[in-house]
Amino acid sequence: MARRPAPPDEGREQPSFSRRSFLKSAGASAAATTIVGAGERAEAAPAVLGPDAVLLSLKVNGAVRTVSVEPRVTLLDALRNHLDLTGAKPVCDRGGCGACTVLFDGAPVVSCLMLAADAEGHEITTVEGIGSPEKMSPLQAAFVEKDALQCGFCTPGFVVAGTALLAKNPDPTLDEIKAGLAGNLCRCGTYGRIFEAVQAAAQARTPSQGR
Amino acid sequence: MPQEPKPEPTSTFTAKAGLPASPQPLEVHPLTTDIKPWDLDDLPRFEHVGRPRPRFEGPLKVTGRAKYTFDIKLPGMLYGRMIGAAVPAAEIQSIDTSKAEALPGVKAVWTTDSRVVRFAGQDVAAVAAVSPDVARDAARLVKVHYKERPFTHELREAMKPSAPRVFYLDRLPVPRELNRNGNVAGPRQSRSNRGDIDKGFAEAELVHEASYYCPVHTHSPLETHGVVASWEGEQLTIYASTQAIFAVREGVAEALGVDRKNVRVICEHMGGGFGSKLGPSATGSAFSVVACRLARQAGAPVKLMLDRKQEHLCTGNAPSALMTVKVGAKKDGTLTAVYYQSWGSAGIAGGAGTAGPAGALHGKNPNFKAEEYDVFTNAGPSAPLRAPGHSQGAFGIESAMDELAHKLGIDPIELRKKNEASPVRMAQYDVGAKAIGWERRNKKAGDMSTGSWGAGGGWGGGGAAPPPSRRRGLGMANGNWYVSASQNSNAQVRVHRDGSVEVITGCQDIGTGYRTSMMLIAAEELGIEPADVALRLGDSQFPEGPGSGGSVTTNSVAPAVRLAANQARAQLHELAAPLLGVSASELDAAHGKIFVASDKTKAVTFKQAAAKMSGESIDCLAKRGKQFETFRGDLAGTQFAEVEVDTETGIVRVVKMVSVNDCGLPVNPLTTQSQVIGAMIQGASWALFENRLLDRNVGTMVNPNLEWYKILAPADMFEAESILTPVANLGNNTSTAGIGEPPIVPTLAAVANAVYNAIGVRIRELPITPDRVLQALSEARRA
Repeated sequence: MARRPAPPDEGREQPSFSRRSFLKSAGASAAATTIVGAGERAEAAPAVLGPDAVLLSLKVNGAVRTVSVEPRVTLLDALRNHLDLTGAKPVCDRGGCGACTVLFDGAPVVSCLMLAADAEGHEITTVEGIGSPEKMSPLQAAFVEKDALQCGFCTPGFVVAGTALLAKNPDPTLDEIKAGLAGNLCRCGTYGRIFEAVQAAAQARTPSQGR
Repeated sequence: MPQEPKPEPTSTFTAKAGLPASPQPLEVHPLTTDIKPWDLDDLPRFEHVGRPRPRFEGPLKVTGRAKYTFDIKLPGMLYGRMIGAAVPAAEIQSIDTSKAEALPGVKAVWTTDSRVVRFAGQDVAAVAAVSPDVARDAARLVKVHYKERPFTHELREAMKPSAPRVFYLDRLPVPRELNRNGNVAGPRQSRSNRGDIDKGFAEAELVHEASYYCPVHTHSPLETHGVVASWEGEQLTIYASTQAIFAVREGVAEALGVDRKNVRVICEHMGGGFGSKLGPSATGSAFSVVACRLARQAGAPVKLMLDRKQEHLCTGNAPSALMTVKVGAKKDGTLTAVYYQSWGSAGIAGGAGTAGPAGALHGKNPNFKAEEYDVFTNAGPSAPLRAPGHSQGAFGIESAMDELAHKLGIDPIELRKKNEASPVRMAQYDVGAKAIGWERRNKKAGDMSTGSWGAGGGWGGGGAAPPPSRRRGLGMANGNWYVSASQNSNAQVRVHRDGSVEVITGCQDIGTGYRTSMMLIAAEELGIEPADVALRLGDSQFPEGPGSGGSVTTNSVAPAVRLAANQARAQLHELAAPLLGVSASELDAAHGKIFVASDKTKAVTFKQAAAKMSGESIDCLAKRGKQFETFRGDLAGTQFAEVEVDTETGIVRVVKMVSVNDCGLPVNPLTTQSQVIGAMIQGASWALFENRLLDRNVGTMVNPNLEWYKILAPADMFEAESILTPVANLGNNTSTAGIGEPPIVPTLAAVANAVYNAIGVRIRELPITPDRVLQALSEARRA
């Protein structure tokens, strides 16, 4: 939806032009409404954190872990550099590839675009929490069986995204699988076998659907 | 006068070579220390080789436990960051690191000695600090003053006489004897040149000539280049994301002036390279050496990984190529001459030739000439990319062949068959044609009523008719590659007294399935289960192996593994023979047992035999040695594509691809086919999406990320089928060959030819983006 432009000379009429007045004038579009919401929350927020390290308490893979990080540290860096959970991978550092995907209260998020401080009070699940080499989840086992990996650097991201997809949609069609994994990139070229692995894991859970 | 080296003694074996459908006896002469190669008769008796097997490291990778270089964390480790030149051509006047050094948490700083900048992203400085964020802050505080110079950013611009010079003529990094003119060096003559093209074109009844252009493609492995460097006294340990641990050891030791014995390089798992990780650092950066210097300066380990932008700028790329192809033929399709000219830009590096496929394909053509020119631009140096130069070159020659077929009114496959010299590829055409449904193609390009698309127009299931704006088409193209190997490939097999087995070989696994293949080879030779073999790899303290480039890894190391296992097996048979009351030569081994070949009930277990050894282990070290008389020195491949083009939006979608390939005897068809499919995906991505764009005004990269430098994503995925044609090539004792590169050679052309068949308009410049499709359609309407 296009955002409605502000009146052309609003700035001149209001020398004390504020963020809040701008947001009001930006009108009733959906996008602007969201921003207003954020603005109001910001006003009620506690004092600004940092720049020095702060103590954060993160619930990761079912356990509460404490980390001391600068407030600017991303969830990805906190997991990898402070909690030694290196399953989520840094690849593009801008949410473009999905390799750092983790579950945030069950929903897939790119952890390179989230601050660790914003993850406090939420359930974080990384690929390590989905299964272990000795006890893989059905989807992880299907990835191995179908050879849905080569170098494997994108694989944790795909496993997490696929896990989230199957939790929401236990019996996805091929198009739904493609949509569910649309935010993840693989350079070795394993997509087809990843789709097969997701289908195989889905069929193992819902054998009678017969798609 | 130096003495002629004495020829090493050889044995003589006659074995069954070639395709299973047409075996041919071939006499081979391995060194006496080597053994008879596996041949067609061995295929049916294999227990492990040739059977699909999920890779053994899979569970570690799918659960996030596999440790890549990027995942290494050492006590007290610092985080390094490279700082690249911000401009494409300049003289560095000063580098001021004082503010960076003063920043709390910064522990070491490095600056370059070089004063000349030739591409944006060239190494200028580096820092190491207590966290990645502090390192980034420090990098921003490094002030570099440049005296900027004019630059040239693109091949066709750089060829102009008026273009700014990238190098002084005498400094061009090309062979001394090559002609130089501005930014252009060449021509180099192809080794495939043959016959007389003037005579050939005079004999031609039809001549087609056109130019084709292929953009720069960056490797874009998901794990960026990088190392973790750690000193303990004089001992240097480097964890490297590399395709060549021994090249890292040698290169870093030389640059630092330290003994190789003091340098250890480790790479257990590696997040993709595609040819860009074959050197000590990268073609456009010395980050490995810099990381070691920072670590020594700081007295602490340093992890230095490049970021995504740096990965695009300074770690290599596949050169762009401008190709003019002239083909002459008789009316029946018999080629009379091919003239191939190419200009390629490898940035500030040379070696952008693309004539390989044109010289090797259509081998019956008697008259061939190729001339290749390198064009220098102010861009990062290229690196080998999966069959260097061959994807671009095949796009040129195989597009031209498709155009020739159209002009002659001959089926493109028939045109290829008419000029085919390889019996392997000759057998592949019909296999691939059947798998793609070649008979459905539009007999008149762009007109679906001349194809056989069935009810629903090929959109499956006989459903609703497709929107009239969407057109389907089929295309095909050939690819070539070579059987090559590194003789300096060594492996050690260690059998412990308890019967457990280790295979130890330095060569790294870059994600190809190499590790699993070596386990299968050792298990096959020893007659045990692959899961009972522990494979130790990716460590320069182990026996030397090759760099993983040129599709050499498997057929370099597998013969050494098999030979070492064969020697261990012989020793175990000597131990088992007295237990069974026979001589060792009467024994065979399988399923964890050593038994009398003529009476399988007389058997001992592998472990029982091992328990009889006098020491604690049997260690056998073997070297690959020379290549045997190979059935064919080339690797044949042919590829087919089905595409759908929306003529309203210009969007091209690949629907299906089929690749038919020779890779010798495939050790593990599952991982082999994964590689083939992956190559098709990377090639289709190159054909349709990828294009490194340098800004013509400022010379820096416009799309240094993974969303504007678009690579093929799940939503773009097509049905991909890999068909292997096993060939016993007898070139080594396992008859294996490589597969990593061959299947990306024909892909660009196959996709482009399918687009032509769909819309009837030829697009000669890649990537085939919607704007190019719409422009081509619009020009065709006006014409």
